[in-house]
Amino acid sequence: MGKSFDTLRHYLDVTAVNIKMAFMTIVEYPANIAGWFISNPLQFIMGFAIIKFVVESFGKINGWNYGQLAFLYGLSVISHALSMIFFVQGWFMGWFVIEGDFDRYLTRPLGVLYQFFFTNINIFGITDLIPGIIVFIYGCVKSGVNPSFLFIIQVIIMLIGATLIRGGIYIFIGSTSFHTRSAVDFGQYTQEIMDKTTMYPISMYPESMQFILTYLIPIGWVSFYPVSSLLGIDNGISSGMITAFITLAVGILMMLLAGAYFNSGLKKYESAGN
Amino acid sequence: MKKYLFIVKTQIIKSLTYEFNVYGNILMQTIIMITSAYFWRALYSGQGVVGDVTAESMQTYIIISSALSVLLITGVEQRIGRSVERGTVATDMTKPVSLFGMFFAEDIGSIIALIFQNMVPILLIGSIMIKVPVMADIRDLPLFVISVVESFLINWLIAALFGMMAFSTINNNALIQVKKHLIRLLSGSIIPIWFFPEGVAKVLSSLPFIYIYQLPLSIYIGRGTRAEHLAQMCIQFLWLVILSALFLFVHNRVTRKVMVQGG
Repeated sequence: MGKSFDTLRHYLDVTAVNIKMAFMTIVEYPANIAGWFISNPLQFIMGFAIIKFVVESFGKINGWNYGQLAFLYGLSVISHALSMIFFVQGWFMGWFVIEGDFDRYLTRPLGVLYQFFFTNINIFGITDLIPGIIVFIYGCVKSGVNPSFLFIIQVIIMLIGATLIRGGIYIFIGSTSFHTRSAVDFGQYTQEIMDKTTMYPISMYPESMQFILTYLIPIGWVSFYPVSSLLGIDNGISSGMITAFITLAVGILMMLLAGAYFNSGLKKYESAGN
Repeated sequence: MKKYLFIVKTQIIKSLTYEFNVYGNILMQTIIMITSAYFWRALYSGQGVVGDVTAESMQTYIIISSALSVLLITGVEQRIGRSVERGTVATDMTKPVSLFGMFFAEDIGSIIALIFQNMVPILLIGSIMIKVPVMADIRDLPLFVISVVESFLINWLIAALFGMMAFSTINNNALIQVKKHLIRLLSGSIIPIWFFPEGVAKVLSSLPFIYIYQLPLSIYIGRGTRAEHLAQMCIQFLWLVILSALFLFVHNRVTRKVMVQGG
């Protein structure tokens, strides 16, 4: 018990140093900071405006009104932002594999996956988080949600779950590079698919696709199921408080599976001969 | 010219090296295309014509937009960014070819490879799984081809302009993202701007972005009259001229003084 506590404290110390280093790296290029502060909010403000325009042209989307969609969009962006802060490196795993960058991590006495994500922790994810929170609050007001203490707890639990699901998916996709020995930037594609499946209710898609998004690639749990439960909309699978906890469980399961897949890939890793 | 053709050839061979990338890209783009098709089908359920367009035309729009997006992949902005950040811009500039001529040739090479690797499969998959994307009026084909060529050039020039900012900012990753989002959301590649409110649509039609995706796609699905298309193509051409002039102006300024990092 004492030993594992020491280990945990060691990891926390390293994390603190990493965050400090991350701050120092980002101030190296001032234009970049400005760029991120423009690009990420821009993306979500425009994305949100598009939802508004779509609702204005087509009316309700599958029974979801504008306020409810804003709520869904806000929570989706927040979990996206959190996954950007902690797990965005998964998008670039392929480059690490083909350029042999895992050598560095393998020689250190810390978990490889931990080092991979936390030595390059992406502080800029905050620029995604801010617009997400703004839209979420707007959605709360528009859809007439009364945020009680219990409600906030549910939101926090589902956000942790959703972030883990997203992170797990990034790790899965990134880890394929160990087997294929190639680097593909799937980040943009993943993002585009996630946009369509987490920012709109998946009940609008055909049943076969809903089945895949619920049981095989659990993107439905990132936002649709927990949010519809929070808003009291029938989603046919799960309702009430329990949904947030199911989301968390799905997230943890995804992470465990992704971690196992990553480790099996790492066994196949051979450096790039540098 | 021969030198550039050689660069094109090298780039094609390079693109053919990683087989998995090809399958991965096709798979991902197929998923995106089918999701978009379902998305529009769901929105259109129970509604006939929205924004002067039917659900059927919108499906064609999605397929052709996916195919077109293959042509509109540019590497120039990352290429400049990397070359400035790592200091290899010094060696790139000593080569007996013009710097941007080389980048352009590289992009052409990648795209030639991508047409066969991605665009043809996507069109086939789209035809089988969604619908055959037939052109509304085949007589518009020359207009469509010309507008696609112009949209390719406009897209490349915007990428190059954003890329050139690397000469002064050293790291241009964030700026590349700004450009990506602007084009993704304002060009009509995902949602055509005729679904936007009139005021917004008006502002956007004076910006270059919609001439990258939406104009060729409108011509393809036959939204609007030929006279309207021709008028829009004039604006498209005007943007091509403006961006080319801007490109030459900025190009002459930034390459005069280059900072080399540890090269």
